[in-house]
Amino acid sequence: MTNVTVRYYAVLREQAGLNVEFVETQSSSIAGLYAELSQRYRFSLESESLRVAVNNEFAEWSSSLCDGDTVVFIPPVAGG
Amino acid sequence: MNSFSITSSPIDAAALREQVAHPGCGAYASFEGWVRDNQNDRSVTLLEYEAYRLLAEKEGARIVQEAISRFEISSAKCIHRTGALQVGDIAVLVGASAAHRKAAFEACRYIIDEVKKRVPIWKKETYSDGHSEWVGCHACSQTSNRRPDYSRQIALKEIGESGQDKLASARVLVIGAGGLGCPALQYLAAAGVGTIGIVDHDRVDASNLHRQTLYGVDDIGRFKAEVAAEKLFGMHPDLSLVAYPKKLCAGDIEHVFSEHDLVLDCTDDLDAKYLISDAAVLTQTPVVFSSVYQYEGQLHVYHPSNQSGCLRCLWPKPSAAPSCEEAGVLGPVPGVFGTIQALEAIKMITGMASGVEQQLLLINLLDYSVQRISAPRISDCAGACVNVTGLDEWRRKIATEISFDSIDDAVQAGFDVIDIREPGEIDERPLATEKARQITMTRLEAEPALLPVDQQYLIICARGVRSRHLAGMLRAQGIEACSLQGGAAGLPVAF
Repeated sequence: MTNVTVRYYAVLREQAGLNVEFVETQSSSIAGLYAELSQRYRFSLESESLRVAVNNEFAEWSSSLCDGDTVVFIPPVAGG
Repeated sequence: MNSFSITSSPIDAAALREQVAHPGCGAYASFEGWVRDNQNDRSVTLLEYEAYRLLAEKEGARIVQEAISRFEISSAKCIHRTGALQVGDIAVLVGASAAHRKAAFEACRYIIDEVKKRVPIWKKETYSDGHSEWVGCHACSQTSNRRPDYSRQIALKEIGESGQDKLASARVLVIGAGGLGCPALQYLAAAGVGTIGIVDHDRVDASNLHRQTLYGVDDIGRFKAEVAAEKLFGMHPDLSLVAYPKKLCAGDIEHVFSEHDLVLDCTDDLDAKYLISDAAVLTQTPVVFSSVYQYEGQLHVYHPSNQSGCLRCLWPKPSAAPSCEEAGVLGPVPGVFGTIQALEAIKMITGMASGVEQQLLLINLLDYSVQRISAPRISDCAGACVNVTGLDEWRRKIATEISFDSIDDAVQAGFDVIDIREPGEIDERPLATEKARQITMTRLEAEPALLPVDQQYLIICARGVRSRHLAGMLRAQGIEACSLQGGAAGLPVAF
């Protein structure tokens, strides 16, 4: 089990109903974590349309998770 | 100076120019992004920006640094605003100063283009028709903005906003997701019942589809409780739907009932109905009972706080009726009764009178004849619904099936444990205890006097099927016997 902090923004925040949570996950991969959360919250975005950040830096989906990481799933951006 | 910053205050373009200006620069180019009043022919009334600040500032700073490296500029800065902005507000400002104009223009353009592509900031537009959308996430925002509108039922004086609130906080357990359960579940969900538990250990079969309207051909083979929960949640994502793809038994039914306010009995199994009734009495949980036979159906409501009878008040002796599979049934028949069950649930939750208080309602859907039979609580009810004394006594009197994690637990609870398996079976999977007596089923059936009446017995077989049958037989003879749910298969093995 890996303990991570997950932050939600924009549409994911609305669908999860929260900004941040501590998650104990069976998964050791970011993709697995998203699959778990997506099933729980019924996220309407597929992982293909998201970027991911770990510890406040962009990361690859294939990166592995470590205890204490902060993970953010980034929906399509629309700044500017 | 931070080359990229995020602020929730109005952007001051003059201040940024002063920060970026340099006496050696002959050129300054800037870009202002404004909130406009339209997007794709829709009139925008509000724009909200949200940022993942820590990463946005880092990525934004990287972009400005790239601009400084690529173009011959002396300084550049970008500010992005977050929060709720009105039409005409500046959302983003970029400024770049250089010796000459070409570099200044190019750097300014580069920065805004990259910011729009890479920086984790999101924009939610609200239109004059009231809808809002996260820009770039079309498919998703549609569903997250559509909320059910209960106004048509709130308009009823018996419901109102307070009734709707009660529905939203209600927790209803529906046991059976078949012919009765499917319509009941759909109407409970549609009405906005906040938490719905769905119990069914069965899987969808092709022969169910003619009457179990939540399922289609693609669901065949899947657990009904899970399919029902998924479909209903998909239609009503504001509700909480919990699937229990298992059979409730004496060991856990009390706990599950205590987490709900009301139960709908949508089962077609007599044993299950009696267990539900007993657990309802023990936990003081109301139950809406229904059953169907061909073109007729019955409805009765047990409520702990009035004089309504439990199932055993109405039917002290179980008498087996053929199931839908055997007797045949048309879909609309359980459809009508399951719908009535949902209606009774809604009435109870919102405080409306039942209309069938202390009565058994019988409706024949062939000729539409309706009968009401009095169904009060009886003083000597076998279900002890008149005075419930406690779990142990109830279990001794009522529960045929019980769960234990180990033989030691059962012995501690006061049971004399009897293993009725054949010697061969015992050798294959011995129990990790010496506290169980071994008397085969055949022998017990022949000589029940082997078990003195003043004790309570826990009967164990391989899987819990034979033991249930034997326990029932012993009870009929006045011997207090329970069957271990799941049998030896669920217990630790001796090594």
